[in-house]
Amino acid sequence: MTDLEYLKLSKPAKMGYKTRKFFAALPKKLVGVCKKLGQGIIHAGAGFIRGCKDTVQTFRTGDWKTKLSFLVMGFGSFARGQWGRGLLFFLFQTVFNIFMFMPNAQFSGCYYLGKLSTLGTVETYKEGRRTVYGDNSFFILLYGVLTLFFIVAFIYTWYVNVKQNRLSEMILKSGHKLKSTKEDVSALMDSQFHKTLLALPTLGVTIFTILPILFMILVAFTNFDATHQPPSKLFTWVGWDNFRQLLSTDTSSYGNTFSQVLLWTLIWAFFATFLNYFLGMLVAIMINKKGIKLKKMWRTILVMTIAIPQFVSLLYVSKMFAADGLINSYLMKWGWISSPLPFWTNPTWARVTVIVINVWIGIPYLMLIATGILMNIPADLYESARIDGANAFQMYKKITLPYMLFVTGPYLLTSFTGNINNFNVIFLLSQGKPLSLELSGNAGYTDLLITWLYKMTVNDTNYKLAAVMGILVFVVTAVINLIVYNMIPSVKNEEDFQ
Amino acid sequence: MKKLFSLMLACIMLLSLCSFAMADGYSGELKIWVAEAVVDFTQQQVEAFKALHPEYADMTVVIQPVGEGDAATNMITDVEAGADLFAFAQDQLSRLVAAGAVEEVEPSNAEVVKAENDPGSVGAVMMGDTMYAYPMTSDNGYFLYYDKSVVTDPSTLEQILADCEAAGKSFYMEINSGWYQTAFFFGAGCELTFDSNDEGQLIGMNASYASEEGVKALKAMIDLHKSPAFVNGSSISNATNIGAIVDGTWDATAAKEVFGDNYATAKLPTVAGFQMGGFGGFKMLGVKPQTDDDKLAACDALAAYLTSEEVQLARYNAVGWGPSNLNAQKNEAVQADEALSALAEQLAFCAPQGQYPNDYWSLATALGDDVIGGKLDDADDAALLEVLKGFEATCEGYLSK
Repeated sequence: MTDLEYLKLSKPAKMGYKTRKFFAALPKKLVGVCKKLGQGIIHAGAGFIRGCKDTVQTFRTGDWKTKLSFLVMGFGSFARGQWGRGLLFFLFQTVFNIFMFMPNAQFSGCYYLGKLSTLGTVETYKEGRRTVYGDNSFFILLYGVLTLFFIVAFIYTWYVNVKQNRLSEMILKSGHKLKSTKEDVSALMDSQFHKTLLALPTLGVTIFTILPILFMILVAFTNFDATHQPPSKLFTWVGWDNFRQLLSTDTSSYGNTFSQVLLWTLIWAFFATFLNYFLGMLVAIMINKKGIKLKKMWRTILVMTIAIPQFVSLLYVSKMFAADGLINSYLMKWGWISSPLPFWTNPTWARVTVIVINVWIGIPYLMLIATGILMNIPADLYESARIDGANAFQMYKKITLPYMLFVTGPYLLTSFTGNINNFNVIFLLSQGKPLSLELSGNAGYTDLLITWLYKMTVNDTNYKLAAVMGILVFVVTAVINLIVYNMIPSVKNEEDFQ
Repeated sequence: MKKLFSLMLACIMLLSLCSFAMADGYSGELKIWVAEAVVDFTQQQVEAFKALHPEYADMTVVIQPVGEGDAATNMITDVEAGADLFAFAQDQLSRLVAAGAVEEVEPSNAEVVKAENDPGSVGAVMMGDTMYAYPMTSDNGYFLYYDKSVVTDPSTLEQILADCEAAGKSFYMEINSGWYQTAFFFGAGCELTFDSNDEGQLIGMNASYASEEGVKALKAMIDLHKSPAFVNGSSISNATNIGAIVDGTWDATAAKEVFGDNYATAKLPTVAGFQMGGFGGFKMLGVKPQTDDDKLAACDALAAYLTSEEVQLARYNAVGWGPSNLNAQKNEAVQADEALSALAEQLAFCAPQGQYPNDYWSLATALGDDVIGGKLDDADDAALLEVLKGFEATCEGYLSK
């Protein structure tokens, strides 16, 4: 289609064309991503093979110091006078060896690694009335994964150690001097300063973020639940069973409930994000309007909701809407209704109620953001629009909204993701209730995936399904984020408002 | 070499001597979880226990307030960090046994427990043929608290509702709880019990919810929900504008405060022509599995003491918890208690609460929520029967295969 043809189309047709184009381009994009991924793997593989070849080559051509370094890490560096580096390599190897082959089998890496494939086989038993605990599947999994990390780190360090030797030999051959330990240390404060700075964060991220995430992902493939609870009971690998239980639609599975909860999560996130956004903007525009008096007072009143902790205000509001709460009591007292309104008991009512209450909490934030941005829109744009005869709505649609969307696009995206995982509001207001016989697994009609996950872990100690759910929440948010991120104007047309 | 050998031998002898000396008594740390209301009481009783048993005088006992509802969850989540003795409500027992978080009762103590406590409470601490906890109270049941000036006749639910409606007051009953709900189903003549084996697994079910009686009970619930006076709830301190409430002995003090001079209690009313029933429930004390024989002995001795006749009676006098011990139940003060006597009257219509799968409670909440949400308002008998059939089938799905 040429540009001219496109311009001739009606509005809906243009939208349709754009949407079609987006989805038509999707497979191509996907293939592109796969290609890149494939290339990355090939690249990494090639690098690995090169590394292996280099290592073998080093062993063949290296001198005796280098050859001994293959066994005793850091020997080469030590022998060539770089005792600082040598000491570090040697220390690492020693620590690794101690960890792997500790005499006390309970704590050695080999012990955990050996049990990793079964997650333990020794059951807890009784000796008289005394309990003797068997294998602890939880620790086996945790330390097993930690051991794998350690082994990878060791292999990499060993490779670096070999590479060091090769480089040192080459430098010495070319007649230059090697860096002394003193020079090494001063380099860490100067040309190698990035390494000094990043060492601690990298270690922290690995231990406190990557390791737990990997651990939780692995739990999704085990039967770790209330009846397989360490230390008294063992749990073991079950493959994809948990995914099947959560996603398949047999009567004993959670598939139907999962799709309902997922759908409500998306509906909730949509309304919680966009209703707040537009209403907040509206309030900001209204307060900003010339001729409105007591602007500061209105803003202060609205910001008060932020000042009160959500734990207090939400629990209070939740009680207010209960069958015997303030609102129902007064409506009945005045004779407007004869029986309490089912704010928390009827599924549809409950869903609408949480969305509306969330508007009350969300508007002040949006108002603050929008106020700042609205003041930044050049007044001459509005002036020329007015001269052209545009009315207020046209100006809003053509000037205010595009400007706002451009600036707050990324904010909208993060707030949508945040709302998918908006635990506080839902849990403090309704705890996911009302439940129903039509939903399984303790899920209620206002449950988001994240509150359902919470109930599974805390109330039912069903860690295996909770882990699966965690993975699925990640997939949902990641997919939505990637698609939307590529569509928002702030990313697509960076130049628009400069 | 000889020297070394004799030295080693001496060491071993010394060690065994030490452990022999230790076998009688225990001087380490022991952690107890009880409800906040009885922390001070338990502290006093532990001191009394130490005075009685000098071999445990050096033991350090830490008492922490953990509610009977949370104790099981906390234990299961982390057994090693859990308390050595913990009080819990009986609906948690099967979970605890299944997770291996509670130790069997010492055989000689078990005999004493069986002989001295009421049969309902003894049944509640058994899984199969094994006893897993010490019964502590026999008052976990519910009955009617009402306002004399509002409710004219507490014998039928229809009348209570009419009185409340006329006075503009509310009638509270938590019908979306698997515990209170049974007042309707068991009262109408339905049955729902589970058979357990020694490992805490539920292996069989006897259910007759999907029956004419079940439909009658469900219809009574729906009618109750349709009354404008009905409010779903069971906590008197959170209630506003209250005319009557179905609640338990733990709220007796609060009820006296709320109703003042008009405070009155009664057994549950009849509804649709049948007497409402329910659960007779119990609180119990569990012991964590121990890796140390001495500590286990200390735990057993202390648990037996804390659930003995004297302490149960003292507990009634201190905080008003009804005893499960038969002799303590015969005590004059206990017999004269208004709330407890209403409960005793109601318990005649109740089944002792046995073992239920953890999922039963959320399933019952789901059923109650469907009633309260008005989903079944217009359903006919056949549709209600279908709902109950589904309920039973789901319950059956909870059995261990």
